[in-house]
Amino acid sequence: MSEGSASGVPHLPGMEVRPVERNVYEVQIGPSHPGSGHMRIIVELDGDVMVRVDPDIGFVHRTMEKLAEGRDWIKNIPLFERMAILDACNITLPYVEAVEKLLDIEPPERAKYLRALLCEINRIASHLYGIGIFAVFLGHSTIYMWAFGDREVFVQLAEDLTGARLTHSYPVFGGVRRDIPDDFPQNARKAVRYMRYRLDEYAKIYLNNPNIRKRLEDVGVISKTKAAELGIVGPNARASGIKYDVRLVEPYEAYPELDFEIPVFEEGDSLARAWQRVEEIKQSLNIIEQAVDWLEKHPREGFMHDKFWKTAPKLYKDVYEGNIPYAGKYRVKLMPLFATLKVPPGKAAARVEAGRGEIFYYVESDGKDVPYRVRVVTPSFRNVIAFKYVMPGHRLMDLPTIYGSFDYFPPEWDR
Amino acid sequence: MDMVTAAKVFSDIGWGLFHYIIFYPPVYQFIIIPGLVAALAVVVFMIWFERKAAARVQMRYGPLEISPRTGGAPQLIADLIRYTVQELIIPSAADFFAFIVAPNAMLILSLLPMVAVPMTSISEYWPIPMGYSLLVAVALSTLAPIFTVVMAWASNNKFSVLGGVRESFIVVAYELIAVISLLSVVPLLHTFNLVDIVNYQMSGIWLGLLNPIALLDLFIAILMSTSGFPFEIPDSETELVAGPFTEYSGLIYGINMGGGYIRRWAFSVLMTLVFLGGWAPYRPGPGILLGYFVPSLIVVVKATIVMAIMSFLRAVYGRYRLDQALSLAWEVLIPLAFAAFGISVAEAFFGVHP
Amino acid sequence: MPAKPEIKKVPRATFLGRAIAGNIGALTLGVKYFFDPNRITLLYPHEYIKLKQGYRGYIVLIFDKCISCASCARICPAKAMKMVSVNVKDKKLNKVMKKKYPVINYNRCIFCGLCVDVCPTEALYHVPYHDLVYLNMNDMILNLEQFQEQPEFVTSKEGVPVTYVFDEKRGLVKVRADESVKQEGQIGQTSGGENK
Repeated sequence: MSEGSASGVPHLPGMEVRPVERNVYEVQIGPSHPGSGHMRIIVELDGDVMVRVDPDIGFVHRTMEKLAEGRDWIKNIPLFERMAILDACNITLPYVEAVEKLLDIEPPERAKYLRALLCEINRIASHLYGIGIFAVFLGHSTIYMWAFGDREVFVQLAEDLTGARLTHSYPVFGGVRRDIPDDFPQNARKAVRYMRYRLDEYAKIYLNNPNIRKRLEDVGVISKTKAAELGIVGPNARASGIKYDVRLVEPYEAYPELDFEIPVFEEGDSLARAWQRVEEIKQSLNIIEQAVDWLEKHPREGFMHDKFWKTAPKLYKDVYEGNIPYAGKYRVKLMPLFATLKVPPGKAAARVEAGRGEIFYYVESDGKDVPYRVRVVTPSFRNVIAFKYVMPGHRLMDLPTIYGSFDYFPPEWDR
Repeated sequence: MDMVTAAKVFSDIGWGLFHYIIFYPPVYQFIIIPGLVAALAVVVFMIWFERKAAARVQMRYGPLEISPRTGGAPQLIADLIRYTVQELIIPSAADFFAFIVAPNAMLILSLLPMVAVPMTSISEYWPIPMGYSLLVAVALSTLAPIFTVVMAWASNNKFSVLGGVRESFIVVAYELIAVISLLSVVPLLHTFNLVDIVNYQMSGIWLGLLNPIALLDLFIAILMSTSGFPFEIPDSETELVAGPFTEYSGLIYGINMGGGYIRRWAFSVLMTLVFLGGWAPYRPGPGILLGYFVPSLIVVVKATIVMAIMSFLRAVYGRYRLDQALSLAWEVLIPLAFAAFGISVAEAFFGVHP
Repeated sequence: MPAKPEIKKVPRATFLGRAIAGNIGALTLGVKYFFDPNRITLLYPHEYIKLKQGYRGYIVLIFDKCISCASCARICPAKAMKMVSVNVKDKKLNKVMKKKYPVINYNRCIFCGLCVDVCPTEALYHVPYHDLVYLNMNDMILNLEQFQEQPEFVTSKEGVPVTYVFDEKRGLVKVRADESVKQEGQIGQTSGGENK
């Protein structure tokens, strides 16, 4: 890892040695900078061209994997949600799936559709967040406000469904926590139609705007082989021509029964990455329509596995029906054994396609009521290496372009 | 023998004040309209308008909380008071004299072209002899940008130096465009006299209609020179914190922000007089009010509309990259400026007159 | 019907079409929204959102239904619920004994709602508001009497209640939520509302 290392200089294993160039101008786009996020990027410039880019990350490290070892199984669901709060359901779902594999239960069908519904709502909200931040890096504040304003529609849908705007904590072992309310299908259809109409307007003012096109086209090109070599995942890889999506390779939840496409672009530049996210939003809208249609037609049963619902007292069913006035409606009560759940020993792994790429959990248990080890590999963890290898050779004003088009979210890396 | 009454004394003093101090052309031009008072009033209005116009497009309200009935207009007064009383922090590593003097010099020099423009066609209200007023105004408008580079160098901060270098590239690019576009009316009308240029447009056909390419070129050159979107390059917030203005705080920061707008105002007044008819179609009558005050108000209104269009572009465009903006200027706009000059010559040859 | 990948292309445009049509398209859209804006800002605290009943807000205890099983304290992820011992007169056995009841510390509560969901006798419930203000952090640790009463919602005394309804053309539209619509157990129709 030492490029052109000076021989004769003693170095310890892991130390990176490089000669200091004299003609280079070092700029630190530091943590408190309007265009850097929670990280520092050390840039060495030769005139206007970047020669070396070094992302300096780890400012938001919260030791989540270690904290998970001291908490009960169900308490880790709100913990892991705070890793990337934008797509909360996508982040906690692999943990729940892995523990379900250890418990050897499988959620019933309505629960699978409900989980897929919330996953897609969160995916749209996450992509809109990425589009908004990317636009404000380029100076285009209109799309920033429009993306966050339209994201409000989907956050409102999620609030109708789960009761909280961002920190849903929705999937639990065996099923979900709430069912859809009575007027949810018509609201969801209105939201879907509105978003389709809005995406055309985004294309008109942002993606087809000659100013923005010139800024994005042929900037940060990653070829297919280079993307595979660097190990990039998610919409960034699909915009370079790699046809990889976890919903395609290893379908989970209700995805084997839903009918949608996975868009793949071949150009690999920033414009392709921006279009990739817009196309994925369109596909997510299709999935939401199909899921809502299915949920409306089928009867309201099978939202929680029988192991945790069959022996429930009559009060639980009353709460679900809404017979108790202060308690709301369609709420799934949890059995008290959730608090002291003991998971049989074993090892399990699960992965899910989150908004930014593939997220992977490895859970190991030795029979107690706290996990022995939880290991998380997040999509931003895999994407950040591209900064080091893709950015050199571009001009300084391309740094926000490439950064924004990758949709890198520092708390997700730093856990 | 006249009675020396109090009323006559006051009316005499009033007449003297009016004719010799307020409406005395050099004082009126540099301080009242289109000088300091009008520039500050229009700048305050324009900052408010920019925030409101951008907010209307962007699904929000803009300034509203201070007085909901007037749409948040006193917000600007509050901002001004905040800038006035904020603590002035001067970094110890900065070059003190240049740090303090550069913004003030930039403000004064931005306003200097206003002494050379006429506001009426009656000769006793001209500040300077009008023979070559267009040339004088254009020449004076090129003095200010050097002080941005001085500010950037004096700040002793890497981001400021990067912003100053970008500003110097852009200054070289846009000046030629602005000068050629403004001077492209000269072959058509055979005169450098701004009063004659406006008088030629009294018939109703403005020079902007005869030579729209020059109008478009001048509009884009003004955007480039004063950091208007899509050319907001030296002052790009998400890349260089605030460019040359990074280390400034307090009243000097307010002067910097306002100075950019005042520069845009000076160019807008020039553009109004040359391409948009000036005070046409109103013929100035005799007397101070009809002959001096009213035509200057018409010029102010037209220049404000031009500035409002420039402020609206904030809501539609992003930022160009530096080399893209420069290639646009050198490869597209300068040939267009020469083409506008050529159109002017052709129109003179074929006898097309406004 | 599983998913299938499909290759798409970025829409290309010719140089002149890009320069002219792109600019004109963006400018006309900007002008259209300038004259017909669609604003969704909430002018808090002059207006406040009247949240629906399923919203996970502050938590209130019903004393008579609690059976002291301590499931809520055990499941709380943030250790915000604690059991305290009080002397109560048990009605069936007719003598005074020490029993445990939960109290809450709002410094730590993350409003996840797991305690409300796990209570076997439905002794806890959510109130649909969340914007309360305290003057010091000790006030946020409630004792047993404070936990049983609904917190005072100050914003409703000064502001106008609004709700956002979904709309096809405008996304979310702010409308005034009339107080007269409130009937028993209703306040909106969502997961936790209607009692038909």
